[in-house]
Amino acid sequence: MKSNCRRTLPVILLIVLIGLSGSAKAETTLEKIARTGTITIGTRTGSPPFGYVNKNNDWVGFSIELVESAIAPVLSKKIGKQLKIDKKESTPQTRIPLLSSNAVDLIAETMTDTQSRRESVDFSITYFVTGAQFLVKKGNAINGLKATAGKRIAAQQGSTNARIIRERVPTAKLVEFPDQPAAFQALAQGQVQAYTNDGIQLAGLKAKAPKPDEWLVVGEFYSYEPYGMAMRKNESDFRHAVNVGLMDAIESGRYFEIYEKWFGQKGEVPYPLSAETKRFLQMQVVPK
Amino acid sequence: MNYQFNWGILWTGQSGAWLLQGVITTLQLTLLAWCLAVILGIVAGAFRTLPFAPLRWLSSSYVEFFRNVPLLVWMFFWYFGVPPLLPQAVQDWLFDHGAEFWAGMFALGVYHGARFSEVIRAGIQSIPRNQYESAVSTGLTIPQTYRLIIVPIALRLIIPPATNESLNLLKNSSVALTIGVAELTFQTRQIETYTAKALEALTAGTVIYLILCLGLAVLASRLERRFAIPGMIVQVKAD
Repeated sequence: MKSNCRRTLPVILLIVLIGLSGSAKAETTLEKIARTGTITIGTRTGSPPFGYVNKNNDWVGFSIELVESAIAPVLSKKIGKQLKIDKKESTPQTRIPLLSSNAVDLIAETMTDTQSRRESVDFSITYFVTGAQFLVKKGNAINGLKATAGKRIAAQQGSTNARIIRERVPTAKLVEFPDQPAAFQALAQGQVQAYTNDGIQLAGLKAKAPKPDEWLVVGEFYSYEPYGMAMRKNESDFRHAVNVGLMDAIESGRYFEIYEKWFGQKGEVPYPLSAETKRFLQMQVVPK
Repeated sequence: MNYQFNWGILWTGQSGAWLLQGVITTLQLTLLAWCLAVILGIVAGAFRTLPFAPLRWLSSSYVEFFRNVPLLVWMFFWYFGVPPLLPQAVQDWLFDHGAEFWAGMFALGVYHGARFSEVIRAGIQSIPRNQYESAVSTGLTIPQTYRLIIVPIALRLIIPPATNESLNLLKNSSVALTIGVAELTFQTRQIETYTAKALEALTAGTVIYLILCLGLAVLASRLERRFAIPGMIVQVKAD
């Protein structure tokens, strides 16, 4: 009996622990924000200009500023008090678990809105549009998706791009890295001939490289990557508040000022907004 | 926690094939790195107990250098640091033949070799000095004494701590995903990429690691009983 007890006790403890984690009182995100006066966002430290640590050691970026100056005011008004923004690092692998465990309330980085992700989380309206391209050293022959056949290509694991290459160019030799710096290092040293990621991220990487002129972003977009902010599923009040923040900013022109600051000619990563994309963003705004 | 579990994703689509591929890669990586680590460990561990200073210094520097730098750094070292030192032709060949895997294998093997050698040294030093003296007095040379008496006994003594090290090696093989080796943890992330179901994929990975490690531990305790020298080492309880 005694030895039996010893064996079953840990199992029972484990089950109790798992049970506890599930039985915590469900509180909506808005209630949580109202109670704590804080919203915790998940963002990146190494994805300029969406979320990164700059030269002054400040954690800044386009996505972060959108939360600060477009979404936070709406939420502040809603809960009737000043809102504090906490930032946590999120990665492609951790962002959905971070949301489901309540560790963060909103993912604001470079997350593509996809149908399979929508089965696990909800997305805001699209706030940035890009597509996959390739970063190569000047003089390399790779100029698009088809030219990758038989070549060694680096990709970021957890991205939608690797999946497309695997399906469309099965002969390409894909090497997937968990983060940008390692993939870029492999490219710089010649371990791979090209690095594929969303065009805007490659532009960011090029702009931050020691010698930006050595690198080229090439190829037509071979994927469509609409970025959205992700939140826990089935929280339509919170989602609506986030969307109102983004829509107001687009309508008032504040969004385009922020865009200009980060992606304009003098911005961190010059990336002009096409007329088509601008129109698309505006058409997402529904009337008041 | 308002998260809807969907365990079905683990056996629909390619998930099963990916997990299997991941297990195979993890086992290959672990096995090769383990062989390297054991060879390095035995040599370096034995050298550190020899009455010959230069060999002791050599193996001490190896051990202290490699075990005191994080494994992640060694991964980057073997993948990014070593290839540029090789001739261009060798580099090209390597890049076309799984440079990631071999870099990961060396990183794991050399790092764990340093840790193994301490286990083996402890084993050797726990053998009473008179064993060594009696062996030498029977006319055996020092290399013979080590090969026929000291090391075989030491290897038996160290099975429990060596099992520990081996399990660590298996689990540490997951660090190789940072340099793009498609092992088990990498594949669980792959499933997450395709299905956005991270918790299910991580759970599958956890269970597989647990099974692999438990299997190894059982195997090691069998070995321990099989090779026990009756009367020499504290009796191994048969349960």
